[in-house]
Amino acid sequence: MSTKLTLFFRTFFLVLVLPAIVQAADPVTELAEFSVFGKIDLAELAKGGIKTATGAPMSTARYLSTQSCFVVPQPPAKVLAAMKRFDPTAQRELNVYLHSELPGAPSASNFSKLNNPPGNSSVKALSAATTKMSPELQLSQAEAQKFSPGQPVFAFWSELLGKRAAAFAAGGVASQPPYDHSGKALRPAAEFAGLVRQQGKVSRQFGGFLGATGLLGGKGSLSPELYWELLEVEDEGVLTLGASYQRATAGGGAQLADGLYYASGGYNVALTLYQLWPVAIDGRPSTLVWRGDFISADSLGDLHGIERLASESAMRKDILKAVTIFQRNSSQ
Amino acid sequence: MNYRFLALVTLISCACAAPLFAGSGKDFSTTSEAVVEEPYQFSAEFTIEQAYIGGAEVQRGARKVDDFDEYYSNVSFIYTPRIKFGILRLGAGWERYSFGFPNGGQQLPNTLQAVTSIVGLDTKYSDSLLFRLEAQPGFYGTSFDHFDGDTFNVPFVLGGTYIYTPELQFVFGVGVNVQSRYPVLPGGGVRWKFAPNWVLNAVLPTPRLEYQVNRNLTVFAGADIKANTFRTDDQFGNSHGDTGLNSAWLTYEEVRAGVGAELKINSSFSLSVEGGYVPYRQFDFHRTEVRYHHESGAPYGAIMLHGAF
Repeated sequence: MSTKLTLFFRTFFLVLVLPAIVQAADPVTELAEFSVFGKIDLAELAKGGIKTATGAPMSTARYLSTQSCFVVPQPPAKVLAAMKRFDPTAQRELNVYLHSELPGAPSASNFSKLNNPPGNSSVKALSAATTKMSPELQLSQAEAQKFSPGQPVFAFWSELLGKRAAAFAAGGVASQPPYDHSGKALRPAAEFAGLVRQQGKVSRQFGGFLGATGLLGGKGSLSPELYWELLEVEDEGVLTLGASYQRATAGGGAQLADGLYYASGGYNVALTLYQLWPVAIDGRPSTLVWRGDFISADSLGDLHGIERLASESAMRKDILKAVTIFQRNSSQ
Repeated sequence: MNYRFLALVTLISCACAAPLFAGSGKDFSTTSEAVVEEPYQFSAEFTIEQAYIGGAEVQRGARKVDDFDEYYSNVSFIYTPRIKFGILRLGAGWERYSFGFPNGGQQLPNTLQAVTSIVGLDTKYSDSLLFRLEAQPGFYGTSFDHFDGDTFNVPFVLGGTYIYTPELQFVFGVGVNVQSRYPVLPGGGVRWKFAPNWVLNAVLPTPRLEYQVNRNLTVFAGADIKANTFRTDDQFGNSHGDTGLNSAWLTYEEVRAGVGAELKINSSFSLSVEGGYVPYRQFDFHRTEVRYHHESGAPYGAIMLHGAF
């Protein structure tokens, strides 16, 4: 009798319960499990609202994070297509002056746009900082030693960026030289690992995906889409290298990761994660989007008390601006 | 491809703009009431300030107090734990004005000092509006021997900042001190980063023009307005020729104008040094109409160590 009961429960579990567990939770529940938002009202978000919140607190002072979620009235495939089409240089408020894709095996020649950089004050500031090898530039000692007075500034940067991008393509972020030109020894790989490790729930949600990228160590099994940008941070030009990854999830959704694994100044690294779920709003195929932004910047470490509070507000506003553009672009 | 759709600009700029920042975005979003587990971090701030003001002169009719100098000391420690609604401010402070009167100082006490607790909250109404409510209940008198219930006072400030853009913020507020000549004083100003490295930080009580030489060094020129009320002891008037000055509230005001430099020692500590001139000060027993007006100013020098972690 007892054996029959055991068999019954085992069968019940295997046939009825296990499939329900294995099947992905519904998007709202899944989002609630790993985000800071808890249970969201999908109908409210479908009206076009954007929820933003400061992410889970992190113990490293130079780290800051923001999470946002919103609905795009298009299916995930169209949202992904809109992301691929997106040109940040077309959005003035993003202050991205140059953006260029990189091939799988990048070299200095892929940075030819730097031969004719914009002549604005931010780029001039970067140029001046390079000429005097300012301690605020984020380079390795070996890279800094390669700069010789009189050398064209952006030829130096093209060479440096080409080598760093090639190193990333070959060995992931672990292959990136440290920022130790000014004495501190900060490694981009350690910064990514720290950002992810200190976001426990997000880390669990994206851990498998991130482990397959080049952002948490070696090359990873997923192929990145590489790019570089010249943008403005705090009135100064910053050259940055990025890598984007994507993988499909069960049920027609997707996870995406975008990591800025090198910056000539302003911030150490930045990571943006997305989770997309297909949802139906009044019968219309739509996408529920969760986005997490994580940044490491030395200047954030200097903020305390109300300054920290204000910096979180500023980051949320900044993300809101970016997400608004994203939502607008994706909805078309 | 670029999945970021993100400007890092403001995000980073927030870190560099000292007290208050941020954007002009549309506030149609809802800020989540996210409940997250906070990792414990001891957070606090402290200030140690010492200043010396050289020989100056104040006068009341024929009563002249000349060539008196001043040592100013200010120490405060504030515990700033993060809570759901913002940042609590719980601490204590000690402020002391010590005057050296060569000729007795007429009707002026040679020491004004306060020992206070600090209770406040920094919070936000939205991503554009931040508020601070802070009270400093404590004893405001002339010497430790005479601190009692009569010297107890609870001045407080309520201030806010509207963050218009990362470069421009408007500060407004009101200071309330029922024992002061003006119990309610409006304050505020504007903070405007009008050029790279240049900030007009025209916010009372320390309006300044700042130039950031590099990430660790800022030089500035501006003013520092100090004002507080203190109560004399119940025998003070008897010994200074006017019984009306027994247990009298005195409002002391001082304006410093100078230049200085602030050196960031590391991410937690900064050291400021400044010097200049004190063009105005006044001792005012406002309820008994005994006022010592500024007659001549004096040079000053100050040093301040500030920590926040």
